Amino acid sequence: MTTSHLEIDWTRCDGHGLCSRLLPERIDLDEWGFPVFTDGAMTNDDALAAALLAARSCPALALRVRDTS
Amino acid sequence: MTTTGARPEAMPIATIGPARLFAGVGQGDPHSHDHHRRTHGELSRIDKQGLVSALATVGLRGRGGAAFPVADKLAATPAGGASEVVVNVSEGEPASHKDRTLAQTAPHLVIDGALTVAQSLRTRRVTIAVRDRGAADVFSWALADRADTRKVRLQATSGGFVSGEARALLQSIAGMPAVPPGHRVLPTVSGLGGKPTFVSNAETFAHIGLLACHGVEWFGEVGASERGTTLVTLVGDLPHTGLVEAPHGIGLGELAGTGGPTLIGGYHGTWVDRVDDLRLDRAHLHGRGLHLGAGVIARLPQDTCALGEVTRIARWLAAESSGQCGPCFFGLPAIAGDLDALMAGRLPTRGLEHLRRRLDLLPGRGACGHPDGAAMFIRTALDVHQAEIADHLAHGTCGRSCTGALPLDTTGANWS
Repeated sequence: MTTSHLEIDWTRCDGHGLCSRLLPERIDLDEWGFPVFTDGAMTNDDALAAALLAARSCPALALRVRDTS
Repeated sequence: MTTTGARPEAMPIATIGPARLFAGVGQGDPHSHDHHRRTHGELSRIDKQGLVSALATVGLRGRGGAAFPVADKLAATPAGGASEVVVNVSEGEPASHKDRTLAQTAPHLVIDGALTVAQSLRTRRVTIAVRDRGAADVFSWALADRADTRKVRLQATSGGFVSGEARALLQSIAGMPAVPPGHRVLPTVSGLGGKPTFVSNAETFAHIGLLACHGVEWFGEVGASERGTTLVTLVGDLPHTGLVEAPHGIGLGELAGTGGPTLIGGYHGTWVDRVDDLRLDRAHLHGRGLHLGAGVIARLPQDTCALGEVTRIARWLAAESSGQCGPCFFGLPAIAGDLDALMAGRLPTRGLEHLRRRLDLLPGRGACGHPDGAAMFIRTALDVHQAEIADHLAHGTCGRSCTGALPLDTTGANWS
């Protein structure tokens, strides 16, 4: 399968922190509550499904999943 | 080094090797198209394929800071009447004077480059975006003195460091806030007003002008992996200060002599301990993890507090955040606060580690390269000024006060 990765539109992100709750194994929060990727690349379907759910849940529509080119 | 003619502006200009961008400067009226044509000859028409190939042969890279290969950028811009060509003369880097000075001394070369690109793309849509008032006046006189520029639009821009970023500039020309968009779409795909746009720095266009007037062979007579010359602004405690046109490949020691820590590339740049093993060549510098940026090389005088200078610039970088992205908007002021505490010797235990952690978290976490560049500047400043930092940690001072040796005055920011 193609590899996908998480991406953030930083102009939209308000630091709600929901992404880190949904994907704790991939996303930490910095001291102001903004996401820090610890592992941004998804290589299997389960991981991709979890990431897509997190992206759909982002209240600011800032989190996205993109195909790695 | 040859000093080239007398100029009314404060920034002295000089050349090492042949004067190209500065050819004929001081010998005639810079506004005069006739004088320009006498110096550089006629502008040849080159189709897109020919221009891409010429640009690839000489290895020209963008001179605004990102050093992107210009041939690739042109190849990626679709030809056609809807495509836009934008000359970025905003020069938000306060230590750099090259673009406004180039605009005032050789405006016709910049215009030649813009027309060459536009003609190769079969479009007439050319915009010159200028922030400096004096440079704008010269462009307007130069444009009025030639018959081939009726469609060229001169656009006044305003704003600070980040607003000079190419995508922020395109937003500003289109009448929107001058901030970088959050989505990463290349201007060559969707730029000014959503149209495919070839946008580059004024110096880039001037070199394209030289290429179109003189040809590839002439252009390649000097240089290194990138052929031709480049403009460098020399600031501070250096053997020579001011603006220099120099051929690629010369040793940085020839420009900056030997001495203490040196800043390469401006306020998004890198501090290094020594320059005598470095060459003026973007590919070579890139291999050392360095970037020439907008071409600033600076060294602090002995009588100023280096940490104070760095903190002052860090405060400015924090204030220049466009405020769109949290990590930059919150991170940079916090880092500047850490530096204040470090200066006063009030940094708590492990405070330096905490500061470095904050710096490590900045890169890649913004819509533009501002957090990345600011982190690079501050992190490498801490690396090369360790003895002074130890003094501040132990005594709360290094015994010197900050004289403000690193320039922050952005002249021409106001149009009113």
